[in-house]
Amino acid sequence: MHSSTSNFDFQRTIPELPWRGLLLATLLLTAIGTAAWEIRARSMGYAPGLNDTSDLWADRREAVQPDSIVIVGDSRALFDLDLDTLEQGLGKRPVQLALVGSCAYPIFENLANDETFHGTVITSIIPGVWMVPGGPPLENSKKALKRYHTRTVAQKAGHHLGMWLEEHLAFMRQDDLTLDQLLKRVAVPNRADSYLPPRLPPYFSTIARDRDTKMAEACVRPGPLQDRVKQGWIPLFTPPKFPDYTPKEVLEEMAQATEARFSETAAAVNKIRARGGKVVFVRFPHSGDLKKFEDAGTPRAGIWTRLLAETKVPGIYYEDFPELIFDCPEWSHLSGPDAVEFTKRLGPHLKTALDK
Amino acid sequence: MLFNSLTFVVFFALVMGGYWSLQSWGARKNLLLVASYIFYGAWNPPFALLLFATTSLDYWLGARIAAAPPESRKIWLVASVTANLSMLGFFKYGNFLLENTKWLLAQAGVAYSPPHLDVFLPIGISFYTFHSLSYTLDVYRGATQPTRSLRDFLLAVSFFPQLVAGPIVRAADFLPQCDAPPTPLKNRLQWGLFLMSLGMFQKVVLADTLLAPISDSVFGHPSPVLTLDAWTGVIAFSGQIFFDFSGYSTCAIGAALCLGFHLKDNFLFPFAAVGFSDFWRRWHISLSTFLRDYLYFPLGGSRVGAVRAAFNLVLVMFLGGLWHGAAWTFVVWGLIHGICLAVEHVFRGLTKGATWKETLPVKLALCLLTYLIVCIAWVFFRASSFPAAGMLLGAMAGKIPVGQAILSGREILQVGLVTVLLWFAHWRLRDTSLEASIARKPAWLVGTTWTLMLGAIILTQGSGNAFIYFQF
Repeated sequence: MHSSTSNFDFQRTIPELPWRGLLLATLLLTAIGTAAWEIRARSMGYAPGLNDTSDLWADRREAVQPDSIVIVGDSRALFDLDLDTLEQGLGKRPVQLALVGSCAYPIFENLANDETFHGTVITSIIPGVWMVPGGPPLENSKKALKRYHTRTVAQKAGHHLGMWLEEHLAFMRQDDLTLDQLLKRVAVPNRADSYLPPRLPPYFSTIARDRDTKMAEACVRPGPLQDRVKQGWIPLFTPPKFPDYTPKEVLEEMAQATEARFSETAAAVNKIRARGGKVVFVRFPHSGDLKKFEDAGTPRAGIWTRLLAETKVPGIYYEDFPELIFDCPEWSHLSGPDAVEFTKRLGPHLKTALDK
Repeated sequence: MLFNSLTFVVFFALVMGGYWSLQSWGARKNLLLVASYIFYGAWNPPFALLLFATTSLDYWLGARIAAAPPESRKIWLVASVTANLSMLGFFKYGNFLLENTKWLLAQAGVAYSPPHLDVFLPIGISFYTFHSLSYTLDVYRGATQPTRSLRDFLLAVSFFPQLVAGPIVRAADFLPQCDAPPTPLKNRLQWGLFLMSLGMFQKVVLADTLLAPISDSVFGHPSPVLTLDAWTGVIAFSGQIFFDFSGYSTCAIGAALCLGFHLKDNFLFPFAAVGFSDFWRRWHISLSTFLRDYLYFPLGGSRVGAVRAAFNLVLVMFLGGLWHGAAWTFVVWGLIHGICLAVEHVFRGLTKGATWKETLPVKLALCLLTYLIVCIAWVFFRASSFPAAGMLLGAMAGKIPVGQAILSGREILQVGLVTVLLWFAHWRLRDTSLEASIARKPAWLVGTTWTLMLGAIILTQGSGNAFIYFQF
């Protein structure tokens, strides 16, 4: 016996209430409420489908084989490349590692540092995003990589259970219908001088387990959703203004970090090439006011040209080939059918570039 | 495995199903032990071996302490304390010690560059070390007898509801519950599930959804923010850490109750604390009583004269701060609490018998003052460095002439509403208990509240974060 002197006699009290009935009523009401919310979500145009989570990305990173064809980059590489078509064109199914709203450099570097990897990397370059010295675009990539490196057995199991639910329930849209996102819709006036991050565009894509992504139909058609997405790009692509009092050293550090990205990219490319791997940079179509904005802010003669020169990587700039010029419904990405056609037309160019 | 994950929902359902379908008490305990090690091993399997090794060592040392003649009992206790604290020191404080040694030697003109220890911190190590250590300390003090069952002791330390983030359940409180199967208790399962729902609501809705993004924005902002934003961020963190940790404890208590085990409260409405000694009677009670019983009292407690007692309080809170993390910012957090406890101790002595202290306006004013100082101390707890803490404190004091407004009107309103409701609830409940309060409510109100909590949890879609206290 071990408790002769401790005499632990603590017992939690249980409030006197009809708990059995309460539990049943609560479960019933919760089920009814959930069903009602599901019906509401479907009536708003949402459909069951996966969320593009860090876990889904980590699944794909784990699927990378030493000789894989890997796609890295931003959302344009995600929306505009059709994996089936690319598989037909290149003879091997690529692994989709492009990430929405991200600077893909950390992912590119991660592949370069993977001693086993000697495959092919198709890299989307949006100059202003590839060169960012910090902030959310870089954090998004780092977050995905961290998940890949640290996720546990329990997290993997939870991810697979979650995917099953997402494939059956329309309200499970983490970018749009979580409590956090719903609260953001509450209109409360802001202070006049507030510096607030722009809202990300709402739900406008579907993604498969292999992260093959297609623009949602509602966004392809002209209408309120397409307008909302369009209007989101320029604030999102506008770098934050630094306050007047930002120390000069901080600005200098950021400029140095941006400048260093050229040499860092070249070093990463060399590592991949040293193992027999190949790299190609692609500038994907964009249109409307967003194109004007990007052309003015990051003209082709600037970052893109210098990046190709310093890395000696072959580049495909969509405007060089009339067959690759497409109109983007919401200025930044291609519709699903256009993505298939674009990928079909891009295939020969990729082959040529990779054979160089 | 996180409580706020689908994996845990399935895991818990399976454990519950297996546990209550087994007839043999021994078989049930075996199941719980295996489940607890799976729960822990799901993070990093090798660390389950570490947990097993340290627990087994304390089991053996507990028996040696009990069997040893009085003059040599202390040796075995010292062995247990040394083994436990060495393990904690290596995994948690190794790099901290090396860095500080390097700094001290540099002050003396000695250039020393120690290698960085590439050590991965086992999750919950601070908690299970204290679970296990409490056993040998209690056997030494005669507060409990050594158990003959290694299985029971392994279960006492690894019991999954409280394993990784507390409450710090002492072996003396858990082992007696292993003697016999739980006695029938009406509505235990339903009340346990209600507590788990409440804890989950606190964690995923209040902490992770309503408060964490706002405190993260403010504490993570690289340049100065305006005074309003600074205060909002700090108040948000104050609420976040309460709901996060209290939510975990409430889940743990509920899960344990579903399995027939009774764990004590870890939080008792701390935002209604009047003074710091009251705060520590309400906040992380299992830690504060651990430090009191095993450190403060052995140092002499308050029976050693005012100056020594004040020193003891500061020393205990210094170590309490260090327990939370291997950084000087945690030490400063602990020291602020220690100094406030010491000042209060002196103040109580000077105003002994004064009735004005018990009037409502004075209590409210002292409650507010306590809250403000607690919030200021949280800045050191949460900030990544002293310069970051200094910048935020400067903004809070209005001493930084420039700064950005980084929070939206909705975020400020959200923090304000949650904080006012939190305060109101704690003040109303400060002299009662959750159970007593709920017993007075009509069933329809409890049912509606329960439904709303579950609905809000479902709306968050399980996008919550890890519990803050896991890192400790």
